[in-house]
Amino acid sequence: MNWKFVILAAGLALPSCSSLGGGEYGFSDYSLVSVRRLQVGDGRLSVTPPRSWNRHRPILFEDIRAVEDWTLNGPLLDGMSFVTGLKSGKSLIRQRRRASQQVPAFRDNMTPPEIAAMIESLYRVRGGAVDFRTLSLQPRPFLGTNGFQLDYEHLDEDELWRRGRAVGAVINGQLYLILFDAAKAHYYDAALPDFEAIIASAELKA
Amino acid sequence: MCPRCLELSRRSLLVGGGAAAAAFHTALAQARVRPVDMVPLVGAGYRPTERDEIGLWKEMERVEEEVADSNLLITDPKITGYLQNIIGTVGGPAARDFRIYLMRIPEFNAIMFPTGFAVVFSGLLLRTRNEAQLAGIIGHESGHFLRRHMIRSWRDQRRKTDIFSIAAMAAGIGGAGAGVWLGDYAQLAELGTIVTLFKYSRDMEAEADAMGVKLIANAGYEPMEISDIWQQLIGEEEASARYRGKKRNRGYGLFETHPASESRMADLRTDALELTVPGKVYDNHRARFMEVVGPLRPTLLDDQVKLNDPGASQYLIETLAQDGWDGLLRFHEGEVWRLRNRPGDDVRADQSYAASVAYPDAPAEAWRWHAVSLMKVGRSAEAKAAFGRYLKMKPDAPDAAWVRQMIG
Repeated sequence: MNWKFVILAAGLALPSCSSLGGGEYGFSDYSLVSVRRLQVGDGRLSVTPPRSWNRHRPILFEDIRAVEDWTLNGPLLDGMSFVTGLKSGKSLIRQRRRASQQVPAFRDNMTPPEIAAMIESLYRVRGGAVDFRTLSLQPRPFLGTNGFQLDYEHLDEDELWRRGRAVGAVINGQLYLILFDAAKAHYYDAALPDFEAIIASAELKA
Repeated sequence: MCPRCLELSRRSLLVGGGAAAAAFHTALAQARVRPVDMVPLVGAGYRPTERDEIGLWKEMERVEEEVADSNLLITDPKITGYLQNIIGTVGGPAARDFRIYLMRIPEFNAIMFPTGFAVVFSGLLLRTRNEAQLAGIIGHESGHFLRRHMIRSWRDQRRKTDIFSIAAMAAGIGGAGAGVWLGDYAQLAELGTIVTLFKYSRDMEAEADAMGVKLIANAGYEPMEISDIWQQLIGEEEASARYRGKKRNRGYGLFETHPASESRMADLRTDALELTVPGKVYDNHRARFMEVVGPLRPTLLDDQVKLNDPGASQYLIETLAQDGWDGLLRFHEGEVWRLRNRPGDDVRADQSYAASVAYPDAPAEAWRWHAVSLMKVGRSAEAKAAFGRYLKMKPDAPDAAWVRQMIG
């Protein structure tokens, strides 16, 4: 469509967006992970992926240390995020203090429904979700403790339905969470076994 | 976290840049446009005859196909039929030609496209308190069409810039559709791009204001409601900005095109007084409005409150509560505090949940969050009772398994 040219034309006038460029400037923001036990996030959690995923290179000022992002087919189709020891008062994503709409900060006394609501706001505020449906919230052991599993789906402003599963627990007042989110058509089912294998392999550093 | 968020912020950056580059309207003070001078420039069944406008219509027909097919549309015939009736009442001579689409986007916006189809965002339905206000906004958008603002603005851009590239063509189309603030949903793929690139001039907005007031007054709606809804929107933006410690300035959109928004309010009030015929009965049709929009409010409020914009949401809830508090509004008041999540907010939130569950229309979720609050302060017997109430109201709740574990 014609107006796509306008987006491109406007883009050329902006010099400093190459660090967010997703790879089209000749270098990659991703590196392959090996199929062996790996430390993720800030290093306190380790997992063994069943095949090579692509690890997103942390971006200064944009990413936070307690969170690491992976993808198999690109972030618009699927993604996995590891939250390793998010402290009370911190949020899942870096945000401007004066942004009108904000993802709520994590608190160490949060119950699973509150963590689920925080994840929902992440998608609504930063992910462009216009509809978000909680499919189920249930208890599930995680990292040897009482955790929870949240299943959800959301319709985003790019008109695609996506589906996600998050498994997490609060340990010593910090949030540990592995979250998988993918296009509902094909990609979710295709990589869910990877996610489950990774959850099963997850271990805290002693 | 949320790898897609990076992609999105990048895209909105590009769209935002385009919008800023395209804004070159002059800001001249102007006299009030009198409603009596606003005669429609198109009649029923209008079709373009000049080559450039025919081209514009062809493009727009493709856009309408996409809109009509969008996943984001709310298609419940009760609400879409209601909106179609309103535009059929305040659409002037083109009333029967207009098409109207409702999109689920939690922002205040309505956009008229050059071929006579309008897109209303669900956030607009949440912010209007009666049918007269909704008809006022729709009448304003009809005014843009009846005064041929789209083709006029496009021709004006071409004359000024002397660019005939594809980009300029597309930008002109953008000018045609540009209504009011599109918010962060400027990311909305194609639609967002075309509607944010250009804006109507202040003169055109003044014309559409005058035309809109005239259209609704003629249809028997209380004309003063229009200035009330604009005033309310400014109030909401101010509350949102003040809350985050910044000035009301969203960069581009409705209010930047109109730095003199106070004088615009004054003009709208003068228009309303001028149009009011002594002895004629005007109505705001709130009862009819609530019958159709009321059932959508739980979803609309949910979409707004979960954006965690406490200043705006609290202002909005208090505004709606001017028509009377109920369990739904008290519940969402609690949600605002809970999501804000500052020290002491848990107590404030629970006060609202507790108030909510005292109303017969309290949503099941109010019982659930009330129970969570009770549990956290150690009142476990009461918490279990409240959880039980939640499950009774919503036996197949998605979190039933977790709740049952809490009840023990």
